[in-house]
Amino acid sequence: MLIKMPVSWLREYVDISVPIDELALRLHMSSTEVKGVERPWWDDKVRVGRISKLAKHPNADKLQLATVEYGEDRPKTVVTGATNLTVGDIVPFADEGAQIIDGHTGERTTLRGKPMRGIQSEGMVLSAKELGQGEDHDGIQVLDRKLPVGARLRDVLGETILALELQPNRPDCLGVVGIAREVAAILATGLREPPVDRLPERTSRDLDVRIEDPVACPRFAAALLTGIRIGASPTWIQQRLIAAGMRPIDNVVDITNYVMLELGQPLHAYDHRKLRGGLLVARRARRGETLRTLDGVERVLHDDTLVIADADRALGVAGILGGEDSEIREDTTTVALECASFEPRGIGRTAANLGLHGSAGSAAARRFSWELSPDLVPVALARAVRLLREHAGAEVSGVMDRYPKRRGVVNVRMRFSDIPRVLGIEIGPEETLDILRRLQFVAAADGDTLVATPPAVRTDIAIAEDIVEEVGRIAGYDRLPVRVPDGPLPLHERHPLQEFRERARDGLAGFGLQEVLSYSLIDPAWLGMLTADGSCIAPEPLRVINPTTVAQSAARPTLRASLLDTARRNLRNRAGVAIFEIAPLYLPQRGDLPDERWTIGILLAGNAEPVRDGETWLTPERPWDVRDLQGYVLALADLLDVQTAGDQVDAPGLHPGRSLAFAHDGRRHLVAGQLDPRVAAKWELPAETFIAEIDLSSWLDAARPPRVIAPPRFPAALRDLAIVVDEATPYRDVEREIRAAGGTDLGSIALVDLYRGPQIGAGKKSFAVRLVLRRATATLGEEDVDRLVKRVAGRLQQALGATIRS
Amino acid sequence: MPGEELRELANRAVAEIAGAADDAALEAARVKYLGRKEGALSEATKRIAKLPPGEKPAYGAAVNEGKLRIERALEERTRALREARVARDLGGEREDMSLPPRRVRVGRLHPISQTVREVSRVFATMGFETVEGPEIEWDYYNFEALNIPPGHPAREKWQTLWISNPLGDDPSRPLLGRTHTSPMQIRVMEQRRPPVRVVIPGRCYRYEATDAIRESIFFQYEGLAIDEKLTMADLKGVLFSFARQIFGSDRKIRFRIDYFPFTEPSAEIAFDCFSCEGRDPECRVCGGDGWIEAAGCGMVHPDVLRRVGYDPKRYQGFAFGGGIERLAMLRTGAPDIRLFYQNDLRYLEQF
Ligand SMILES: [Zn+2]
Repeated sequence: MLIKMPVSWLREYVDISVPIDELALRLHMSSTEVKGVERPWWDDKVRVGRISKLAKHPNADKLQLATVEYGEDRPKTVVTGATNLTVGDIVPFADEGAQIIDGHTGERTTLRGKPMRGIQSEGMVLSAKELGQGEDHDGIQVLDRKLPVGARLRDVLGETILALELQPNRPDCLGVVGIAREVAAILATGLREPPVDRLPERTSRDLDVRIEDPVACPRFAAALLTGIRIGASPTWIQQRLIAAGMRPIDNVVDITNYVMLELGQPLHAYDHRKLRGGLLVARRARRGETLRTLDGVERVLHDDTLVIADADRALGVAGILGGEDSEIREDTTTVALECASFEPRGIGRTAANLGLHGSAGSAAARRFSWELSPDLVPVALARAVRLLREHAGAEVSGVMDRYPKRRGVVNVRMRFSDIPRVLGIEIGPEETLDILRRLQFVAAADGDTLVATPPAVRTDIAIAEDIVEEVGRIAGYDRLPVRVPDGPLPLHERHPLQEFRERARDGLAGFGLQEVLSYSLIDPAWLGMLTADGSCIAPEPLRVINPTTVAQSAARPTLRASLLDTARRNLRNRAGVAIFEIAPLYLPQRGDLPDERWTIGILLAGNAEPVRDGETWLTPERPWDVRDLQGYVLALADLLDVQTAGDQVDAPGLHPGRSLAFAHDGRRHLVAGQLDPRVAAKWELPAETFIAEIDLSSWLDAARPPRVIAPPRFPAALRDLAIVVDEATPYRDVEREIRAAGGTDLGSIALVDLYRGPQIGAGKKSFAVRLVLRRATATLGEEDVDRLVKRVAGRLQQALGATIRS
Repeated sequence: MPGEELRELANRAVAEIAGAADDAALEAARVKYLGRKEGALSEATKRIAKLPPGEKPAYGAAVNEGKLRIERALEERTRALREARVARDLGGEREDMSLPPRRVRVGRLHPISQTVREVSRVFATMGFETVEGPEIEWDYYNFEALNIPPGHPAREKWQTLWISNPLGDDPSRPLLGRTHTSPMQIRVMEQRRPPVRVVIPGRCYRYEATDAIRESIFFQYEGLAIDEKLTMADLKGVLFSFARQIFGSDRKIRFRIDYFPFTEPSAEIAFDCFSCEGRDPECRVCGGDGWIEAAGCGMVHPDVLRRVGYDPKRYQGFAFGGGIERLAMLRTGAPDIRLFYQNDLRYLEQF
């Protein structure tokens, strides 16, 4: 949680003997993250102004002309849309040329006078946002009437502020006093706690307090205060609230906020007139109970919601949101002041249910969702009562404090040697005790044993390791030596799939394809764009319940959509793409985590040898074709020692005449071919788009480490054959028959040419193949070769009806 | 034929060979004198058989001598012609070597793949084994087993993308996109006994608005080491070594207090800025304060150890986690995290 800590406020409780930048660094290193040190940046042109006259803008109903005195001879007239101004108000005034924050962009800008509806605005009266003091941009920031008109605002309101990012384990730091405690420990100096009234418990006939759910509300205190006069709070309170980013309202509300900022403990003030039965009770909401909350919303309360109620009805959601009816009004004279402790996770859950968690929540709710100490309750109540007595005329007529089950005192017993055991630095008992005492721990040595009791506000301390952290951070992590760990190393495992995947990655990049990596969450609508008829090529995906955008709302069950999208966007500025991606698919499984299947996707589209993108004076322009894609797939299989096998199956979404797919054990492990041109059109891709998908673990299963032999010692004989077959006979069959007939003396087969034409007649084609013939143990003689070729020819004639021409 | 005549023939042949202008003329001369069928010397050789026995030796010797001279002349001329040809080539036309070559396509790995590998490689030098685990996780591993039960305020730090299974959801076991790689700490410890040294790179998810330095889908690396005597100083040493190997051996390292529910004590690691070394208040890499926040870390919380069945009285160790994209950006000067995943090839081809 980001809080703003005015340094002058901090100085009230601790002496700061070092420059602020040094303090900020030491807090940052040892205590709490310092996001920044904000210094007053208003220049000489930002002044204290006084509204001396207000008039309607002649040309616009929603604008006013305000005459502002600001210490110069001639007042200035500014145009403003604000509605909260009255004559005599003291306001921040920016003359032309002043640096202010732009209320719309939030950026620092220089104010330029400009005509608004025909009237020149000679400067500007400023909102809190324009002053850089918060998000409030609805009205002008009205200032204390006692401020001297014409003074530089920097001089009268300027404040150095530490922006602190607090962590939820440190609710004690939510108040200025908590940070002061840290500063005192870091600087080894004393802490001054704020003055409080002693509040003896005094029951009153007019107010009773009850806890019905002591788990959700462990402690509930209240004070009945009479004689209240509602009015503005003192300037110093207002200024500190503003500096801390809150807006002053009236003395009662401001003081409860002030105490919250000071001690971290929120309080809530009720108009006593509205409490039926003079009762405040912490209880669960009744079924169907409703409440009109301060934000003007009529809410139906969930029945596990903790509410603060009177005898009849809920007054507010405990710790989260007050009710409208019981809020303080101008004529309030008697106040019931609540100061309570709530179980933080219940607050967190309820706030989440109401949509008021995290930064959406009120300042109080956000604090209550951390584990505030119940021991803060009487302190905060006493502090608030004192301030209300001093600044709102309050008289105490009753005080109640219900705390049915006291929190036990934490006592950590550990060995002093636990500190070097965990940290690896020697910090001796004496220094340990000193550090803990600076942090207001009660700490003592009992031989080798350390006994430490944290201050009650430190709800984060429970075990020895917590103490180790306290000592380590205040001693300074700088003191940790840099050491390379020794000790036994574990035995490492092999990770075949990872190794295989990385070989594939290197292989494909080595072939010249660029690797891409796209979002694993995709637009589910994409899955309907992968076939001509919109049917699915992949299982129904896992969905994100609360997506940030619909474009990232389904866990992709295929890489294809991502690849097509990547290709589409790149083809807008280039003639061709050759890319691959290796990533898991997420395949749902009943009652289990999804199967995360690592998959290779390859895509080729557009020009393989583009004229536009590359230097191609040596190579003619040509488009990618399906043979390129096959080449990459086969080369990859070759590189990975994969013997692809399986049954040929359909390849949905691809061109039926220019694709292939293989499945094994019901899983399609290789799909490759030309994208269905109707699908290509949906993605604004060229018809010549080629895609391959490989299931990595299936390929890993099909990979056989090569059994190598020495290179051949005897020369090979080459023989060319022209094999004329029917058009319907695939080359695969020809090759299969040659292999079958060739036996072990057949080395390799190369297809040299494919011919169709008048020389062989219609419905026929001729494969020109070159056979490489070789025997491992001897040179093949002419006769051996002739015999082999004859056997091959005979087999082709017999099996395929081929005609052979040598 | 007397020896004189043979010598004369050889003289003529040698002169003709020496004058041969090119390989073709040389071959013609060879055939004319040494050709198997009609070569002059072959004719002379055939004649030997018809000579009276007394003349044979002298004549034969003369034939052989002539043959040798001609062969030597052929060899010389062949060499001379070859040398002349090479000399002509070397002294001849000059190619314009500034013309672009025949293009060889270059494929590169995605910068994130490169960085993941680099991280694994560096930690491997310190005995860390790279393991991987599920991106879609149970709430238990992502939060509960790491001391972050439902309603815990620290959950705010890890805004979550919740996942629904089309084959049915179990309300008691919510599914989510892991918000960090830390659930793998639990999975690894459930499967192994100490000593443990692993590094886990992988994809993570957050419910978060994206900007130039934040993505809602991103990569992290997680490290975990458990043994009997590992301390926070060892943690500092490991991360210091990592920083030096990634960013150079002059790097300094800084630990400051931080909070994670699953480590105690906890710290945040920063490296001193390799770009400005703390000397440029306007530095684009470090933002001017001279330090680059790189990872969160700490000593594994005893409750976490207990939960996986490790005895915290006997075993202790550390864990750390940082962003892969951040490393990639720092190493390459990449200006905007989102560019990694827009896959504009004009961008990716630079890495
Ligand atoms: Zn820098």
